[in-house]
Amino acid sequence: MTDLLAVHDVTKVFGGVRAVDNASLSVKEGTVTALIGPNGSGKTTLFNIITGYLKADAGRVEFDGRDVTGSDPGRLYRQGLSRTFQQARIFPQLTVQENLVVAGGYGWRKLFTSRVGRADRERAASLLEEFRLARISDLFASELSYGQRKLLEFAAVLMSEPRLVLLDEPTAGVNPVLIETMERHVRERNAAGITFLIVEHDMTFVMRLCDPVIVLDAGRPIFTGEPLVVQNNPLVLDAYLGS
Amino acid sequence: MSIPSVLRGGIFVAALVTLPLLGLQHWFLNLLVFVLIYATLSSSWNLVGGFAGYPSLGHAGFFGIGAYTLALIFRDHVLATGYEPFVLLPVVGLIGALIGWPIALIAMRTRADVFAIVTITFLFVVQTLAFNLHDLTGGSQGTALPIPPFNADHYEVPFYYVLVALLLFTMGLTFATMRSKVGLSLVSIRADEDKARGVGVRVIGVKVLAFSVSVGITAMVGAVWAYYESFIYPQFAVDPLITIAMVLMTFLGGRGTLWGPVLGAVILESGQQVLTYQLGAVQLYLIVYALIFLVIILLLPRGILPTIEDRLRLYRRRRRTDAAPDDWPGDLAAPSSEADTATLLGGGAT
Repeated sequence: MTDLLAVHDVTKVFGGVRAVDNASLSVKEGTVTALIGPNGSGKTTLFNIITGYLKADAGRVEFDGRDVTGSDPGRLYRQGLSRTFQQARIFPQLTVQENLVVAGGYGWRKLFTSRVGRADRERAASLLEEFRLARISDLFASELSYGQRKLLEFAAVLMSEPRLVLLDEPTAGVNPVLIETMERHVRERNAAGITFLIVEHDMTFVMRLCDPVIVLDAGRPIFTGEPLVVQNNPLVLDAYLGS
Repeated sequence: MSIPSVLRGGIFVAALVTLPLLGLQHWFLNLLVFVLIYATLSSSWNLVGGFAGYPSLGHAGFFGIGAYTLALIFRDHVLATGYEPFVLLPVVGLIGALIGWPIALIAMRTRADVFAIVTITFLFVVQTLAFNLHDLTGGSQGTALPIPPFNADHYEVPFYYVLVALLLFTMGLTFATMRSKVGLSLVSIRADEDKARGVGVRVIGVKVLAFSVSVGITAMVGAVWAYYESFIYPQFAVDPLITIAMVLMTFLGGRGTLWGPVLGAVILESGQQVLTYQLGAVQLYLIVYALIFLVIILLLPRGILPTIEDRLRLYRRRRRTDAAPDDWPGDLAAPSSEADTATLLGGGAT
């Protein structure tokens, strides 16, 4: 398997804090890779650098063999690298269906076509069905529950047929049934060929779903390996519990 | 297009076309001209302030640019028919849009309150230039435009119809925007621009396009106004009050709607003219402006039309859910009355 995503010696400093400190890691194509670590270990900062939301002070990011350091988030999205956010960010003024359609990654000419055309409707319909949002597709997203918003955000980033999806805490604040639903969606999509990189605090979710697991501490990866090995690694226990 | 919306549009156009044929008095035609000026201005502002959510306070700068552009084009000209300035309006619009493009590229790197301050700074820069570039603008002594050789009995009528055309053009553009992916993109920018970037929305291109088109229309209205006034001064051609009026009318009628800015302009501009007559030529209407702003913020934070729409939506849904109580769509969430209330109050959806 080849590296779909490779991060080389990335550093990001906020004031005096080295949020990401000379970090290197790679995500192999076809895996569900987890990125875990205690609060403040730099997981989200690293996510933001990979997806173009933050500029790294040093280092390089490669996606699919190409150097994409400092690329615009929109361009990355259209190239097949998409992400979700920790707080389930959707567009409340748009309907559920429109939330999917807007994420189609259109070229300029397409922008001057119908708001929700037939092709868009068909494209959205299968995702709405898959995520069980079809019956509420005409509601405004502002009317959805938090869990539904999480699902909607996940479904929307699949509109561009991405190759790599970064999920930022997909199970934060949702009920156990929905956690299982999330897990199922990730598995199905992974089987269909999408690679995942997931930041998550729910360890049982990570243990069930992810392999390998990358552990981040103080802005750099301290360990990479199978979930079971990670669980018993003294370095990891030390990072989480302190010595 | 649904039948009611075609009907609504048809009645609106028919009413606008026939109004001057009713033998109205000059003061009323003059009032209509100003209502149309402000309806078009608000509708153009709505493209940026309403759809993209960028509260520009610099639009009056472009109004002035349009006014002075026309004055410069026709300096020392004698008009044969009087329609020449109208024919050249698209040129004025293009110039306004071209000036707007780089301004938008710079100003739209900021957002919300900072954007408002950056754009109002632009307005004052334009005003200062208008006062000081004597050779071009005549400075504070003002500058004259050619006198249109129109019949004094219905002097206002040509201006009226040109403004009707401009308004319909702007509303048509707004309608097309709402129905296209440009409009979809703009709403996503207003909702959450960073998220929009992350799902491939062409945020910079779309918002800069909206700004350019919007200020291009504003410049055209400025040109018509200048021609109508036939003598312009910097303090009236580049007037912060015009900006305030555009914002206020759009907020009152409803941001991001087709009819909201027009409704707001009809209410406020006719109200202002009446108040001015009633109270004499004093600027007491400014106090009324402030009061209206307060009332909007307190009672109608989303404007008249969206509020009515929400109530209708809720009412219809109540009737439907009363008829079939088990028909709550969605498998995961129980019916949430808070969500409904939030929409009603504009909490989730402003």
